[in-house]
Amino acid sequence: MVGIFGTVGIHVSASIFIGLGFGYYLDQKVFNGKTSPWLTMIFLAFGVVAGFKHLYQISKRKDL
Amino acid sequence: MEHPILFISLLLEALGLPVPHGPIGDTLLSKLCAPYMTYTWLIMGMLIILPKITMGKTEMVPGSGQNFWEACVGGIEGFMSEHMGEKRAAMMFPMIATFAFYILPANMIGLIPGFMSPTSSLNITLAMTIIVWVTHHFLGLKYHGIKYINHFTGPMWWLMPLMLPIEIISNIARLLSLSIRLFGNIMAKETLLGILFMLVGAFFGPLPILCLGVLVSVVQTMVFVLLSTLYCAGAMEHAH
Repeated sequence: MVGIFGTVGIHVSASIFIGLGFGYYLDQKVFNGKTSPWLTMIFLAFGVVAGFKHLYQISKRKDL
Repeated sequence: MEHPILFISLLLEALGLPVPHGPIGDTLLSKLCAPYMTYTWLIMGMLIILPKITMGKTEMVPGSGQNFWEACVGGIEGFMSEHMGEKRAAMMFPMIATFAFYILPANMIGLIPGFMSPTSSLNITLAMTIIVWVTHHFLGLKYHGIKYINHFTGPMWWLMPLMLPIEIISNIARLLSLSIRLFGNIMAKETLLGILFMLVGAFFGPLPILCLGVLVSVVQTMVFVLLSTLYCAGAMEHAH
């Protein structure tokens, strides 16, 4: 199943954008810019870690 | 960019129905007449009528038509039971096989001039992805109850505040990546074919892209089916 390895790239970028978007939403809409830019940065880091974790897990799978 | 010629849209316009010229119409009727809707209905009609006329009555000794459909259904079921076990595969089979049978012709039909792939619209792919996403969470909650949260908390309890946002972000990213992958690949194929038909259509310019289009259609169908199978199987098995 080589096809699944082609899906890693878009999943990593999607994770990063979801993290960034969620952090930006918390900063600007929930806390009205008082915590800017810290929550954006923290959730961007979470998104990057989530993307790389998915990459690591996919590379560890033996059954694909 | 607008698609060169769409037969169903021309037909509907000749009947006096409001076919939208942008990506989406403003009234309900023109929304229903949008090209991705009408071509979805064409494929639905094909999927209803074609098995009826090729298969006829099911027989003990299958003819060529029945053999073909049995091979399709048996292939998908074998592939699914490989990943989630036979009982669960039989449970999930109707949904995922429907996706397979819909997405493959939906991708392929855009290769014929005058037709358009409904999957080159984000509305269709996002709708299918939301169905898969909601279903796999529902299955997780059904099989594990409140313990389903163990899928998101990571291996050790003191890692939980770190792992919970990471896993939730990773899970929501499934929604985005599964829909945008199918949409992006098919939309790229459609747009490239449209441009090449316009520029070098008289010199067989789109021919290599047509060959690649067949490959992309089959691979994207397989990836969508494989990933939705893996998501459902992952939600049903125990957290590790």
